[in-house]
Amino acid sequence: MMSPAAVLKRAAPVLACIGLLAIWQAAALVLKNDSFPTAIEAIRAIPDILGDKESLINILASLRRMAMGFGAAVLFSIPLGLLMGRSRAVAAFFNPLLMVIYPVPKAALMPIIMLWLGVGDVTKTLVIFLGVSLPVIYHSFEGAKAVEQKMLWSGAAMGLSPLQRLVRIVLPAALPEILTGCRTGLVLALITMITSEMIARQSGAGNILFNALDMGQYDTVFAMIIIVGAMGICLDAIFERIRARLVRWSEPQFDMPLSFS
Amino acid sequence: MNVVPSRSSEWVRPVTSHKPASAIIEIESVSQVFQTSARKDHLALSDISLTIDEGAFVSILGPSGCGKSTLLYIVGGFVSPTSGAAKIKGQAITGPGPDRGPVFQEFALFPWKTVLGNVMYGPRQQGVRASEAEAQSRSLIEMVGLKGYESFYPKELSGGMKQRVALARTLAYHPEVLLMDEPFGALDAHTRTRLQNDLLNIWERDRKTVLFVTHSVDEAVFLSDKVVMMSKSPGRIRQIIDIDLPRPRRRNELLLDPRYQKYVVDIERMFDESDGAGGPS
Ligand SMILES: Nc1ncnc2c1ncn2[C@@H]1O[C@H](COP(=O)(O)OP(=O)(O)O)[C@@H](O)[C@H]1O
Ligand SMILES: [Mg+2]
Repeated sequence: MMSPAAVLKRAAPVLACIGLLAIWQAAALVLKNDSFPTAIEAIRAIPDILGDKESLINILASLRRMAMGFGAAVLFSIPLGLLMGRSRAVAAFFNPLLMVIYPVPKAALMPIIMLWLGVGDVTKTLVIFLGVSLPVIYHSFEGAKAVEQKMLWSGAAMGLSPLQRLVRIVLPAALPEILTGCRTGLVLALITMITSEMIARQSGAGNILFNALDMGQYDTVFAMIIIVGAMGICLDAIFERIRARLVRWSEPQFDMPLSFS
Repeated sequence: MNVVPSRSSEWVRPVTSHKPASAIIEIESVSQVFQTSARKDHLALSDISLTIDEGAFVSILGPSGCGKSTLLYIVGGFVSPTSGAAKIKGQAITGPGPDRGPVFQEFALFPWKTVLGNVMYGPRQQGVRASEAEAQSRSLIEMVGLKGYESFYPKELSGGMKQRVALARTLAYHPEVLLMDEPFGALDAHTRTRLQNDLLNIWERDRKTVLFVTHSVDEAVFLSDKVVMMSKSPGRIRQIIDIDLPRPRRRNELLLDPRYQKYVVDIERMFDESDGAGGPS
């Protein structure tokens, strides 16, 4: 029971992908460059990678680091951002610090972190953590700052303590904004994940990619790019679904069926 | 405001200094200074003293910026006065509490909660069992005329409906005093009169103490037992007028009542005079 317009809307992302692959295929055929395999060649290489136990372990290790870095960042950044948004003192303390860290590419910190913590999981997870933290802190801060004073007063009159107000009023009220930050954070987690594996080549999806590049296996390189891209698209789509469910109450609504004072 | 002593305990209690209408809120020489810039202080309230009797419907009436909201916030415990004190039942007010329930012009509903969730919030916080809180809340929602809308989110409601929910949410935790800050100020005229009528009906059932801020003379006279007229810069009490009109009040009867009309005209004239005389001197 879908209208043609709805079908088209659903199919649009698929059509976009097919279009992109078609352009790629055509360009590769025209250019005939060794380092630029056709889309079909790249796609053919995907099953080999996913079928290989070694590669699979690498990719799963990447995902695990990403999940840990992202999770730790969210758990740390949301409370910090909310506190900053509600307390001038906390904001005044952390603001200068964040302003300094904000523009620094987190991957640029890797050499130092590697020096201290080695090239293992801790370093890479920490870099992911740093990459994810800032947008989540920023959006949590903005969300908390915008919470209506009178909503908090209403809660105070009901007997909520300051901490209860933070958890039970500021947090839900700021949730739409917080989740916007988390979505940005998720994409950044993927980016920093690959970047960190590019710098500290030891394991992971980024490692497979750059090893293949070194060995001139260009179809594997492009296959990995497709795999990583698909992972990003899937994660983002899943996150978006969760987000939409959590903040249904805040989405603007156009069809208001009501006419009642 | 003749408050009828209703509790049977009134009978047994030895008659001492108990007055028929006892003060529930006492505001004693309250002043409020806001620092508007580094150098300038703004005296928003100057030496306000006011006593509000239990069960009375008292309006605070005055032009915009005369400090009505500030006074209400001080009673609510949301703002502490620069000097002076406010008391409830003889106890100094040091912060917000469930004995004083605010209703704001901006509704301030919890948008992530449904109508039922909003109304249940206070009782749940107070430790009332979920099933009991829900039953009470459902009947309150019905009382404010929103039966059938229990599972709606605030964004799905009109302004008038939101304010009905806000009123139910506050009534749900049984505050002794309702603090209403221009609650109908954001509503269109038609909705406003409907809500005024409904508020009076609800109030006439249980006669909670109400402190009601408004800048509408009609609204103040229609609703109140007592109108506290304020003047601006600095915010002061100009005059307190007892509104001696019979209850229950019906809008269509009252608008034709010469006594009502006289109150409105008299109060409006007093404000006009102060505007004329109170210019820059
Ligand atoms: N937090 C504040 N900081 C500085 N000035 C304030 C603050 N709150 C109120 N004021 C000032 O105090 C005066 C009284 O405000 P308010 O109580 O809101 O008046 P009303 O409710 O009668 O319109 C106004 O001049 C307003 O600008
Ligand atoms: Mg006001």
